Amino acid sequence: MSRETTRRSFLTALAGGTAGLMLAGCGGGKNSASKTTLWYWNRSLDDGFLAQANKHFADLHLEPNKIAVDYKPKLLTTLAGKSFVPDVTNINSDIATYFPDQDQFVDLYDLGADKVKDLYLPWKWELGVTAGGKMVGFPIDTGPCAFMYRQDLFKKAGLPTDPKDVEKKVATWDGYFEVAEQFQAKNPKVKFVANISNIYSLALAQSPKQYFDKQGKFIGDQSHIKNAWDRAVEAKKRNLSARIVQDYSSDWSGGYSGGGIGTLNDAVWAAFILEEAAPSTAGKWRVCLGPGGTGNKGGSFMAITKYCKRPELAFEFIKWLQQPTLQTKTYTEIQLFPSANSSLADKAIIAPDKYFGGQSSGQVFAASAKALEPAYYSPYEAIVSTAYTNELLNVENLGKNPDKAWEDALSQARRQIKHKGLSV
Amino acid sequence: MATTQVPLTTGEPVLVQPGQTTRPKRFREYLPLYVAISPFYIVFAIFGIFPIAFSLYLAFHAWDGIGPMKYVGLGQFRYLLSDGDFWHSILVTLEIWVISTIPMLFFAMIIAVLLNSNVRGRTFYRIAYFIPNITSLVAIAIIFGSVFANSFGLSNAFLQAIGVGQISWLSDPWGIKVAIATMVVWRWTGYNAIIYLAGLQAIPGDVYEAARIDGASAIQTFFRVTVPMMRPIILFTVITSTIGGMQIFAEAQVLVGDTGGPGKAGLTMVLYLYQQAFTNSDFGYGSAIGWGLFVILILFSAINWRLVQGRSGR
Repeated sequence: MSRETTRRSFLTALAGGTAGLMLAGCGGGKNSASKTTLWYWNRSLDDGFLAQANKHFADLHLEPNKIAVDYKPKLLTTLAGKSFVPDVTNINSDIATYFPDQDQFVDLYDLGADKVKDLYLPWKWELGVTAGGKMVGFPIDTGPCAFMYRQDLFKKAGLPTDPKDVEKKVATWDGYFEVAEQFQAKNPKVKFVANISNIYSLALAQSPKQYFDKQGKFIGDQSHIKNAWDRAVEAKKRNLSARIVQDYSSDWSGGYSGGGIGTLNDAVWAAFILEEAAPSTAGKWRVCLGPGGTGNKGGSFMAITKYCKRPELAFEFIKWLQQPTLQTKTYTEIQLFPSANSSLADKAIIAPDKYFGGQSSGQVFAASAKALEPAYYSPYEAIVSTAYTNELLNVENLGKNPDKAWEDALSQARRQIKHKGLSV
Repeated sequence: MATTQVPLTTGEPVLVQPGQTTRPKRFREYLPLYVAISPFYIVFAIFGIFPIAFSLYLAFHAWDGIGPMKYVGLGQFRYLLSDGDFWHSILVTLEIWVISTIPMLFFAMIIAVLLNSNVRGRTFYRIAYFIPNITSLVAIAIIFGSVFANSFGLSNAFLQAIGVGQISWLSDPWGIKVAIATMVVWRWTGYNAIIYLAGLQAIPGDVYEAARIDGASAIQTFFRVTVPMMRPIILFTVITSTIGGMQIFAEAQVLVGDTGGPGKAGLTMVLYLYQQAFTNSDFGYGSAIGWGLFVILILFSAINWRLVQGRSGR
């Protein structure tokens, strides 16, 4: 055995070592019992509080892992591969798409989530619970919507400028369109909205019913969808749109910073995007509740996977991280709008907002969040929604007949559903 | 390996004796060599062969990415053939390919000829033309997003300044295709120019000298001497840009989003694959699209191959 090292034995050893490393890489996927791994994406949790977690839980040994791009494909791949699955993972607002595979996650109700249920907004809480009553996701943030408008341009158009008065004027969609007409008549170079899909998605976000009912039946041909659709088409007919193809794109930013678009009826996080995109318009904006009341867009959740060795401890950590006071601080740090009831009334949230001319924008968004009704989102919303938004793009940009577009949207949606093997 | 069966089937008794005794021995002797070249094959097997084989397996199943796979036989392929969006995406890809490749290779040739002449600072120009190729695609897409922005973009500001009026790049189907093609042209012209330049420099100088003595003009020299001598290189660039052009994805995604924009004018084949697999979590169908793409690539490679064969046979 004890020969001098030849090149051959060296190579053999090298190969053996490589193979060994590979095996270790593939097979060592079991989570060691002593640490807790966490997956999240940038600005979905506060890095500062994550750094403090190990001080609060001596036993936790938290290993946060910020996933840079393609969060969902990576999470799906790891779950399918059954190795290196994080113990705790953030899930985005499309949480319902995980519900067909809910066996991958721990039921948070089993860990006593019920005890803190009253601390959070009921509709947000329900979004994390499956139709069968299993709680997959714990509330992080929300995206309540409100109507933001350029006060100076409203004044120029002879419209009321005080948020209270504007709110009364735009409380209904009819009132909203009247205001829009008057606005554009006096501001000929400014469009009222960025695009008509934005109106559609907002009107839909206000509806407790979406594309499917709880039995999984397609209801995308019913009045709640058609009404939202008609409102978008109405905006097109009245020529209110700047025809921005993609929200939050450079075209979108250019539209708002150049003063080419006068209002934004969107979620609270869109207000922060607006603030960054159009700093020159600071102080000119005001905000109030928009037509049809409120609506929610986005907002994420925390879940515990079935691979977690110590789910009780992981849940204690989640409860700690998402406790109302920390949610409030997270809002101050990284502008995640809280889902905890008490945070919504906190001074930090309702502080005057310079961008909105000293108005408390947080107060409006908080009121919007509180007024929201629970809505049912099926796992298959995204599969059909594309058909509708695509056709609205065609109506808006290619001048397609709206009735024909509606028919096409429905037939495309039904085709997708059939392909998925769902009931129409 | 069933080494013992080899001599039996060959039926040559002379080979049986040495074959049986030396083959295992020889294998052991060559083992270090096999081991030395193995890393590539191991990595290729894991990241190349396995995903390819698995995607074929997936194409016969319905799978949401986590749950159990459901065998559906040829169902995905049957749906693929009847899927208007898939055929539409093929058309879109071909259109973008044509309106990007022709100007790209044309400009590349001109740039290469210019670089081949005695201009000052040639190295600077070569580097400058190659830089787009190594620039991050997402960065390019963001910049071009501002250039082609509908109402508030750079190109429209310019067009308006010279009195042409605005073009709604991102809401017009042809505008979208031209915008995507422009990104491709910008990114790959320099790369092809460098390849052409290498080709130009390989043409012996005495051929040009002979042409000059015969009294050929510069244009005649280009079309009668340079282009024929460059034919294999031009074909190479056509083939590589075909393969690249069939796989256009990020340009379209960043410019018009996952759905392809108005009229689905930016919905290329790979973007459609991505949309079905990763947006709709329909990995079975995504794989089926992938294999549809494979068939089309084979088709185009065959056409290219015939082209090469036909030309060299003449």
